[in-house]
Amino acid sequence: MATASRVRSWRPGPSLVSLLVGGGAVVIVFYPIVYLIQASLSVGDPQARPPEAYGLANYAGLERYAHIFWNTVLVAVVATALAIALGFVMGWILSRTNVPRREVLEQLMALPYYVTPLMGALAWSLIGSPSGGFANQVWRALGGEGHLIDITTPYGIAWVMALFEGSVAFVMIGAVMKSMDPALEEASQVLGAGRLRTMLKVTLPLVLPGVLGAAIFVFAEMLGSFSAALVLGLPNRFYVVTTAMYQLVSQYPPRFPQAAAMGVSLFAVMFAMIYVYRRIVSRGSYVTITGKAFRPRPMDVGAARWALFTVCLVYLAIAVLLPVLTLLYASLQRLATAFPQLSNFTLANYVTALSLDAVRSALWNSLLLGAATAGVGVPLMGFLSWLIYRSRLPGAGVIEYVLMFPQAVPRLVFAFGMLWAWLVFPIPIYGTLWLLLIAYLTVFLPLGIRTISGVMLQIDRTLEESAQMCGASWSYRLRTVTMPLLRPGLIAAALLLFIASVRELGASILLMGPKAKVITPAIVESWFSTSTELTAAMALLQTLAVAIALVLLFAVARRASRPIGE
Amino acid sequence: MSTSAARQAGRAASIEVRDLVVQYGNVVAVRGVSFSVSAGEHLTLLGPSGCGKTTTLRAIAGLEKPAGGEIRIDSAVVYDGRSGAQVPPERRGLSMVFQSYAIWPHMSVFDNVAYGLRVRREPQGEIARKVGEALELVQMGGLAKRSAAKLSGGQQQRVALARAFVFSPSVLLFDEPLSNLDAKLRAEMRIELKELQRRLGITSVYVTHDLEEALAISDRIIVMRDGVIEQIGTPAEIYDLPRNAFVADFVGSANLIRGRRRPELDGDGLVVLETAGGALVHGVAHGRGAGGEAVFSARTVHLQLSRERPAAPRNVWPARVRSRVFQGDFTQYHLDWDGRRLVLRCVTAEPVAEGTEVFLSLDPRHCVLLEE
Repeated sequence: MATASRVRSWRPGPSLVSLLVGGGAVVIVFYPIVYLIQASLSVGDPQARPPEAYGLANYAGLERYAHIFWNTVLVAVVATALAIALGFVMGWILSRTNVPRREVLEQLMALPYYVTPLMGALAWSLIGSPSGGFANQVWRALGGEGHLIDITTPYGIAWVMALFEGSVAFVMIGAVMKSMDPALEEASQVLGAGRLRTMLKVTLPLVLPGVLGAAIFVFAEMLGSFSAALVLGLPNRFYVVTTAMYQLVSQYPPRFPQAAAMGVSLFAVMFAMIYVYRRIVSRGSYVTITGKAFRPRPMDVGAARWALFTVCLVYLAIAVLLPVLTLLYASLQRLATAFPQLSNFTLANYVTALSLDAVRSALWNSLLLGAATAGVGVPLMGFLSWLIYRSRLPGAGVIEYVLMFPQAVPRLVFAFGMLWAWLVFPIPIYGTLWLLLIAYLTVFLPLGIRTISGVMLQIDRTLEESAQMCGASWSYRLRTVTMPLLRPGLIAAALLLFIASVRELGASILLMGPKAKVITPAIVESWFSTSTELTAAMALLQTLAVAIALVLLFAVARRASRPIGE
Repeated sequence: MSTSAARQAGRAASIEVRDLVVQYGNVVAVRGVSFSVSAGEHLTLLGPSGCGKTTTLRAIAGLEKPAGGEIRIDSAVVYDGRSGAQVPPERRGLSMVFQSYAIWPHMSVFDNVAYGLRVRREPQGEIARKVGEALELVQMGGLAKRSAAKLSGGQQQRVALARAFVFSPSVLLFDEPLSNLDAKLRAEMRIELKELQRRLGITSVYVTHDLEEALAISDRIIVMRDGVIEQIGTPAEIYDLPRNAFVADFVGSANLIRGRRRPELDGDGLVVLETAGGALVHGVAHGRGAGGEAVFSARTVHLQLSRERPAAPRNVWPARVRSRVFQGDFTQYHLDWDGRRLVLRCVTAEPVAEGTEVFLSLDPRHCVLLEE
């Protein structure tokens, strides 16, 4: 009864405002999708808008691109397998063993996620491209033939993607492992089952839904990933669906309808996967929702703990340190080579990057957009979180589903829909930063809402109700109780939105206008058209901006994890 | 109403609940409940979880929107089922202590308690004085500056209490305030709470599923089940004269004895039932009528056990000790009687061994006829 009343109890709310904002969000999410589908059905003149005729010819024509779908699946499967293996091992080490420095390692495990796949792809291209890659230069200097590694193969691309997504898999699997009550395993042992039998009959079935859920989620993300395949695959004409779409849109003449059909197909598959994922999570989460407090009892692995510690460090070194140092090394050279020569070192690339108008304005635009996305996004998404999880507005569940929708759409596909949608929009925002701002606010809705609602749901409803019972009005309560308790979540959301915006590629690359560039697509352009060394310098400048925000984020997280009021 | 209630704060108010219905979707949590609380009275809503007691309390507070009925505080309507109009909680002039305490972790103890006074824009000096007094009253005088995040469960409970009464509300609502404390602390707080209530003289409505708590602190108790009221009465009435089997069983432990009415044997103000096994049981009806079949309730502590046949003229039967459970403060016996089992609790110096043939007796005044 107590729980029921907590969920349902009544609150006077500005329901008209709620309805308007909720409705507005629904429009902003679906408007581009409608245009995407419309474009995919256009069978007349591909440039005509609105379409001259409708039909399914574009979908039938996808047959020609079968090899691209095959490439996508291959890369995604390999990358998912690798990422899940990484996540499982790291999750097990950090939540079930007494590895030294567990807390620090756990925080560091988030870093690979923040080193973007783009950074990774650039760095690994410098390390492992078959001709000029540093590793292969060394290999040949040692007398080797041809090349040692080739990062431009599907497996290479999958490797780069897995290194970064491994961090996501770790968070998901680690959470499942941590939430498993060790008493469940102990009960099995007390009843006479051996270690192996316990593992097979108790541990595995309990963890399996979580691992399976993580695998599906990661696989869906891999299907829609863009930057690694772009940087590593494009020069070889190795395409996955997202890069093929990009190619179809950016070539001359562009083939919008085919690209749209491709996007819709990809989106349909991802949507199905996310749906399955949500089903698994909501059904199989019996491990995670006991809600009972128990002390995690890590296994004593003896001397092996240092070996496991090393495993963690090696992963971090490969996924974080190696890419960053490689880019740093390349950015400081006149001509990037594996063999350092004093005369080759220079700061000229940074000087160029900061003095080139194009680069400077792109960097400035990105910072501006990041700040704007955070500034507009936090109040907006905070209100939406409140609307979904606290207002008891009828239909809040539907609004949640709609707002989480962009998660199931690759950003490139979403941006393609926006491209069409906003071209016909009466107010000319196409090609300006405003369009990018709208795009960021839309595609990062799930990120912001999840971050804020995570904190919001932890705040017991009675904390607000007791203020109400003390006679405090709505605004007074908001000011003295709700906002102060929500602050860590809001700050975290602001920083995450800033970071996500500054490093965004998939949406920006399609929507950016020639006179309003942003940094990540500019880095890609520079990679394909100017020097490697300059690109490395630009990437590091971007990383610096993200790193500063990240340090702040960790500081906030650290403060928030302490009991409030200290 | 709102402003007048706020102005009148400090004076005990009466509450009138009429035909209250509260619904969650298709589930009806409270189905037409009516009762009143007079000014200064301490009323308790008692019942198992899911009986609608907390929902009723929250409807009085205004935290729950009822589906029908009427609620008045000091004769001013705060909820009207016909128009659906409802005064928001913050303007009802009530106060509430929550089960979870709902202490704000980002404030000090002082700020927590001062909250209601600051809302009412009282002068600084007044706030300091009243908060000080309230904290003294709940024995937290020395801890005003402490962060609320660093309090133990019992301390949080005291702060929640001080915060609830410091601004002199006209009614205090308690939602199972002691249920999160351990048994010993709960017993202590129960006494303190009772003294505090009497001292403040505020009208209070208290929700609990704990019988002892209800008996200890209430002027009147309402026993609820499945969203309806089963019985209203003083603690003694509820305990001694349960209206039906549910109340008899929920309020303390009782043996239910079913039998056929034997009106021809009635006399001395007693009614008689004949059990299936042929035993004649005398009890009191308290004006309750009954047809052919009826049920007596006999509390486990009112059954007497003896080795020799007692001298009493009625309600003495042979029985056999089936099992004995030592429980510290009392010993519980399970007796074979009349082809069934009875439970008896007593404080005995000398335990009776299992298997012993004994005599069971029951004062007819403690054998109460239930309404069907």
